[in-house]
Amino acid sequence: MTDNLTLAAPVLQMTGIAKSFANTYAVRGVDFSAAAGEVHALMGENGAGKSTLMKILAGAFHDYTGEIRLHGRAVQLHSPAHAKAAGIEMIYQELSLVPQVSIAENMLAGRLPVKRGFLLDRAAMVAETRHWLEKVGLDCDPLLRVDGLSPHEAQRVEIAKALSNRPSILVMDEPTSSLSRREVEILFRLIRELKAQGLAVIYISHHLPEVFAVSDRCTVLRDGQRIVSRPIHEFTAVSLVELMVGRSVTESAIPREHEPGEVRLRVRQLTRKGFFHRLNFEVRAGEVLGIGGLAGAGRSEFARSLCGIDPVDDGEVDLDGKAYPGGDLCDAIRAGFAYLTEDRKSEGLALFNTALQNAGDAVIAGRRTLLPAAAAREGFARLAVELELLPPEPQRQAVQFSGGNQQKVLLAKWLATNPEVCILDEPTRGVDVGAKRVIHEAIARLADRGKCVILLSSDLPELVALSDRVIIMRKGRFVGEQRRGVFTEDSILLAANAEDGVS
Amino acid sequence: MSAPLASSRQLKISFTKRLLNALGIWCVLVGLVMAGLLAFPKFGQADNLLNILRNVTLLGIVAIGASFVTYGRHYIDLSIPPLMACVGLVTISAQPLGIGPSLLLGLTAGLAIGLLNGWAVGYLRLNPIIWTLAVSFFLDGFLRWAYAGHQVYPDADTTTGRFFLDLPQRTLPGGIPVGTALMLVLALAGHWLMTLTRFGRQLQLTGIAYDVAALSGVRVRRVVLLTFVLSAFTTSLAGLLLSALNRQGTFDTGQGYDFNAITAVVLGGVLLQGGRGNVLGVLGGVLLIGVLINLMTLLGIGSFGQMVVKGLIFMAVVGLTAWLTRRSGRSDE
Repeated sequence: MTDNLTLAAPVLQMTGIAKSFANTYAVRGVDFSAAAGEVHALMGENGAGKSTLMKILAGAFHDYTGEIRLHGRAVQLHSPAHAKAAGIEMIYQELSLVPQVSIAENMLAGRLPVKRGFLLDRAAMVAETRHWLEKVGLDCDPLLRVDGLSPHEAQRVEIAKALSNRPSILVMDEPTSSLSRREVEILFRLIRELKAQGLAVIYISHHLPEVFAVSDRCTVLRDGQRIVSRPIHEFTAVSLVELMVGRSVTESAIPREHEPGEVRLRVRQLTRKGFFHRLNFEVRAGEVLGIGGLAGAGRSEFARSLCGIDPVDDGEVDLDGKAYPGGDLCDAIRAGFAYLTEDRKSEGLALFNTALQNAGDAVIAGRRTLLPAAAAREGFARLAVELELLPPEPQRQAVQFSGGNQQKVLLAKWLATNPEVCILDEPTRGVDVGAKRVIHEAIARLADRGKCVILLSSDLPELVALSDRVIIMRKGRFVGEQRRGVFTEDSILLAANAEDGVS
Repeated sequence: MSAPLASSRQLKISFTKRLLNALGIWCVLVGLVMAGLLAFPKFGQADNLLNILRNVTLLGIVAIGASFVTYGRHYIDLSIPPLMACVGLVTISAQPLGIGPSLLLGLTAGLAIGLLNGWAVGYLRLNPIIWTLAVSFFLDGFLRWAYAGHQVYPDADTTTGRFFLDLPQRTLPGGIPVGTALMLVLALAGHWLMTLTRFGRQLQLTGIAYDVAALSGVRVRRVVLLTFVLSAFTTSLAGLLLSALNRQGTFDTGQGYDFNAITAVVLGGVLLQGGRGNVLGVLGGVLLIGVLINLMTLLGIGSFGQMVVKGLIFMAVVGLTAWLTRRSGRSDE
């Protein structure tokens, strides 16, 4: 069946595409095609050129070279308007809807139906919106405000909005990053329907299982060049990763040198009303405690309160037998806590400061005076080597690093405080395979040095590979605990989803 | 190992680049002074140069404190003019109590207003422009009402009054006026505070990325509050000197200092986007304004025309820096 697809006439044919930024090629000589009724996965590490290629398709650049043919006809996609008119629609990770406005107005913005010249034709607006919402299987009032929708409903609205422009190519960039497993399946069902209706879908994701589940064909980019383009069933997870990384990867489970020791961190009855309730747990020296659960289970909220970023209503925390009196994040850092945020770009790094500055930002909280410049540089150089930062330039702005290396700088910022309790919230979200390995090894080393690590992650393989113990959180409560050797991705997922079936 | 080598080279490049950035405004200043020397023989005379320095002293003192607010990305404290008036009025009114208490009361009044602004902007997260505009309006009205629109005068017959009136005229050995010396000392201290201390470092992060600072353990609310207190502190000192210079305290002492200060700060390379620039640059901006005004006077441009030129310069600098930062990829919402 997939073989037939490759024979079908391509809707999109990109040949010899190249685009450079300041003398370095982001993509060069890339051939890429997409056929009607096919889901084409575009894979590659961060910086491989995926987003540049798709931005070219979206008309973001006017200075690319190479040829783009749509339905066999050569086109110039030199502005977003050109791309839209040519039938190309993009769905990004971050939704582009205006939350305070109704679904209908969001969808039909710019072409709202009018009657008698200037009056808003509400009936026509509702009818048209409903028509497109039905296409994505969403049965809700078109006059509902978008901020009243759950993330996955909002995403369907986004898709409906894209469909209402009657595209022939739909590009989805990491569409599942904010969705739970169940919502991902609903999305996949929709993608398959769209495919059956003859749409060409280009799917970008870092999640291998998703790619295998939903795509027909897969193209791998590396260093701006196309490495391979084949039907998905000719790949295995291992071969796909190897092609992306360009070297063979060892299996992801990280070995640990020591067994966990004495209990170091005790948390009793930690509560923030409306967010999480009566959480009790202990973490031992050298233990990685994983916290699993679906999006919205309250993991980040709990972690932020534990570190004094958000308030706590009740509960006791003690570290090494010493009661921790609470306070703000600054106090928590002095007490040995570290919190690596899940939102690198707006909460983690000052993107326009240098890597050196960023890496020193958290150290300052614990000190009365500045670290001498030489000591700061030395510490940075050590961490840069440990985390294989590329390039290891202290004076480079954070924004000039790739996503994976930005994440390494963020990790370095907290490692520099030499924390006793390290809370890592999605430490590898959106980073490439190479950076992920480095970060995982650094986490294992932390544990081997006797630190407590609390790992919050929606990435189940990561949770399974790193944790000594996993606590499952649901609706602000701990609902289960599983030890290493017992838990699997499936068992964690089942526990996280339990009683959450039909709502 | 190649990594440390590469990094030390990077460091050198960035150091010269930073030096150039910091000195950029001084280069412009030197250029303008050269032009002035060539065009007007009178310009280079010692008393003219000293006069320029004397004329920008108070503006400089205000701008040094105000630059901390800008550096922290809260633009400017618009209550600068009535704050200066308030300090002058309170100090002169309190002079029967003696020189020490009167100066202390005046400064306390100024710092209290700074504390109020810092609390409202830092802790309540109110819009700095709108809030300080409101405080400015309130304070202006309050001073007019409290003094029924009258001036107060220091009593030159008392030692306190004489000491106060003599303040701006005093010179240090070498003929440097006390105010100018104060400006230079404040500039050096401010530069040290902004670039070499823990507070300065935390303020830089707060200015360039507020949320990141908050999640790095910076007590952002306290840091923001302190910038407004610093601004109020130097503004109060300037208010004292200005009232002594005017030999009176009135509600409109300090008029125009808000706009002139932000012009000097921005001209000195402290970006409105926060977290960029330093106090020595601001000092350069202040001197540049002084030289410009002096040259315009020599060219026969009146004070109204000078206002127009100052406004144009401000627009050009703000427009240019916004354009440059956007082009360099530093987004500004």
